[in-house]
Amino acid sequence: MLKPYVCVACEKVIVAQDGVASLIALFSKIILTVPAGTEIPPNAVAPKEWAVFSIWDPEPGDERRNYFLCTQILYPDESQFGQITRSKFNIEVNKRSQMTLQVQGFPIGQTGEYTILSWVEENEKKVSDPIQFGIEVIINFAASPAGAAT
Amino acid sequence: MTCPICAYKNLSYPPRDYNICPCCSTEFGNDDAVYSHRQLLGMWIAGGANWFFGRAPEHWNPWLQLIQGGLGMYVPAQFGAPYINFQLVANSANVEPAIVTNRLNAYGSLALAA
Repeated sequence: MLKPYVCVACEKVIVAQDGVASLIALFSKIILTVPAGTEIPPNAVAPKEWAVFSIWDPEPGDERRNYFLCTQILYPDESQFGQITRSKFNIEVNKRSQMTLQVQGFPIGQTGEYTILSWVEENEKKVSDPIQFGIEVIINFAASPAGAAT
Repeated sequence: MTCPICAYKNLSYPPRDYNICPCCSTEFGNDDAVYSHRQLLGMWIAGGANWFFGRAPEHWNPWLQLIQGGLGMYVPAQFGAPYINFQLVANSANVEPAIVTNRLNAYGSLALAA
């Protein structure tokens, strides 16, 4: 059974020709500064590209299994953002599997701790406990510049 | 098949021959004979970007759909929050927090703020 080795959120993943991954800007918190008086609708999405990067250790025989990595993003109130993504694992003997989920857009409709959950499925059944981590979204309201038109 | 207007990915029928997008309600061959794709997108957004036919797919989000379809630049400001300072913060126990500040421009792309 695949075992999680790394699971993080970052701004970008660059994979070299030899398969070595470089992670750009790991983050655990997003701070938005918006003009005072701005009301952010609950379904607002910042057009921000980011990634969930994970590495998995296989056991002998896993290369013959049909595993999928599932990833779910939850709002602070635990409702789901977007769809659960399912990506097929490419498993090679004695090699760690790297998975990059590129996400276009970050939900900003609620402040607080968003939860990222990742787990492994086979034949649409969970075969691992979910790994989870949080990303905190804080919204600061900037005061309008003195003399600015309102 | 993807709707060329609203970027809905699961069209049951090709976008032609008077088929209708269940998301943005465009009737292909009729509406797009009168208006351009951009005009139809603008009209859908101006009307609230609501799901047209039946119940929307679970967890459907029109703004995410546009962003994923490469149409993020058309997401209205209040729903896509351009012109905001966007900081990614990595908290760590043994180093100072690293902060990357980005500024989203009007079209939703990112430029590093000096």
